[in-house]
Amino acid sequence: MSEPRVNGLHVHEHGPPPLLEARAVTVRFGGLTAVDAVDASFGAGELVGIIGPNGAGKTTFFNAISGVTPPTSGRLIADGRDLTRKGPHRYAAHGIARTFQTPRVFADMPVRSNIEFGLKFAGRRPRRYVFWGEEKSVPWALRTPESILTLIGLSAQAGLPAAAVTPSQQRLLEVGMALATRPRMLLLDEVAAGLTESEVEDMARLIRRMRDELDLTVVWIEHAVTTLLRHVERVIVLHQGRKIADATPADVVRNPEVIEAYLGDEMIEGEPA
Amino acid sequence: MTDRQFLIRDLLVLFGLTGWALSLPFYGSEFMVSMALTCLMYVTLSSSWALFCGSTRYLSLATSAFFGIGAYTSALALAQLSWLQSIALGAALATAVAVVMGAAVLHLRGTYFAVLTFGMTELIRHAITYFEKSVTGTVGRVLTVVPERDAIYLTMLALAVLALGTSIGLRRTRFGLALMGIGADEQRAQTLGVNTRLIKIAGFAMTAAFAGAVGAAMSVRWTYIDPHTVFNPFIGFQTVLIALIGGAITLWGPLIAAIVFSLLAETLRLKLPHLYMMSLGLLLILSVLYLPGGLASVRTDTARGWWRDTQAWWRERRYEWSGDKERDKRRERERRLV
Repeated sequence: MSEPRVNGLHVHEHGPPPLLEARAVTVRFGGLTAVDAVDASFGAGELVGIIGPNGAGKTTFFNAISGVTPPTSGRLIADGRDLTRKGPHRYAAHGIARTFQTPRVFADMPVRSNIEFGLKFAGRRPRRYVFWGEEKSVPWALRTPESILTLIGLSAQAGLPAAAVTPSQQRLLEVGMALATRPRMLLLDEVAAGLTESEVEDMARLIRRMRDELDLTVVWIEHAVTTLLRHVERVIVLHQGRKIADATPADVVRNPEVIEAYLGDEMIEGEPA
Repeated sequence: MTDRQFLIRDLLVLFGLTGWALSLPFYGSEFMVSMALTCLMYVTLSSSWALFCGSTRYLSLATSAFFGIGAYTSALALAQLSWLQSIALGAALATAVAVVMGAAVLHLRGTYFAVLTFGMTELIRHAITYFEKSVTGTVGRVLTVVPERDAIYLTMLALAVLALGTSIGLRRTRFGLALMGIGADEQRAQTLGVNTRLIKIAGFAMTAAFAGAVGAAMSVRWTYIDPHTVFNPFIGFQTVLIALIGGAITLWGPLIAAIVFSLLAETLRLKLPHLYMMSLGLLLILSVLYLPGGLASVRTDTARGWWRDTQAWWRERRYEWSGDKERDKRRERERRLV
């Protein structure tokens, strides 16, 4: 990561435009404002975490920036294009892939077909080589179902139906399906929830690898804050739908507002503050 | 078997069945041909229904609307256009209606979608009835130009083969995969890059095109049509029933069920008309309870499993009725007291 990063934000003023930019995104459900005018910008190759207490609007924000729930107001710009109110497939075509909090794999299909599904539709993105060849920007590890299965470590389960693998493997498969769309940006919604201590570490290592080796921008929501803070470079803290902090993990744990809203005493003791 | 072997097997079966159906008019009686015609009609309707509704799990009851539109189109157009042209026109009109209808209601799921498609069918039926009564001043229409029997039969056969061929081919394309993804988890498919709205409308239109063509081809069989006959909601219901009994996601299920169904229809309707509807209902209940995959999912293992289940059930009953169960329970209780 050689490009200059000013606090992780506003990089695009000097360098290339951010992969995804949310401008004052608001999502309302009836009278409830789940996400309240959140600004965020994600540059190439960043590893960003989003934390917040229960009901802070993390998942709703995710749904908004992946096109699943169109925002009530605000704008979403991906790679310089306005994608506000466009369908999720348009986001996928612009290289924004996501996973869901509860694994939503195609249970009846084999694990391998689950990966193939994404690969088949990844071609929706306009290609430079129409008749032969591959997109130049696609990393080798994302070209075939086998290579993706190797990356996520599910090669042995390729033939099993997705319903038959363990929940933690389903979480990995969920990540693999997102990778199969050959994204440039990966939105992970609590991929480590319900995993054991060592599985969480494996997942974190996988996430770092995806960022480092595949040059993906990774945005990661997690409840296990300690793990998340150890691995990400920038943290966005949501509280009651509003963004209350956007800084490095070290700065965030010192932010009094964040401590009051979310982390509590236990965290300060746990981290060398 | 590999995918390729499956494809070859399916194509061979289709080829064989087509040959058999082709030879039927040469040796079959008038009654047999007419029965085969009904059979082909339901094969086409339910296979094409299963194309879209089976894999996406959108339960459409609008088949009779498309059927009726096709029937009316050919009834009106046959005087000016040729036989094939009027069928194509019927299919095209049904497709156009399906695109509009699909754009309006395909964002709904489950019961809402089913009820709305049914409501729209009724709307179209009553609109045409009203139009005929107030503008044309008639109740129905008499078809004067009617092609000969063999032409109708061959057209229906071609449509059935086309529907089954599309069904064979479609499940191997990206479009078919997208339809399956929509059925499994629509939102997930969307986030994986499937333009679900477009795919759903295209699939629905495809189903409608077949139903419209079948309606256009079958209308001449009645020589007199009115909205009540050709927009009969039972055509839609029966299509759904056949597809469900046969297995909506399978390839040959609708065909098997359509054959069983038309045989039942023709034999029972003549002798015991009440028993016919009752047996249809019973068949549906049985297939939903014991054969969720439909008739096409029956394998030798399924039958063996039933046999084992029946035996286990019977063993349990003997244990109960012989008094052994009661005695074992009593002993258990006494042992606990000690």
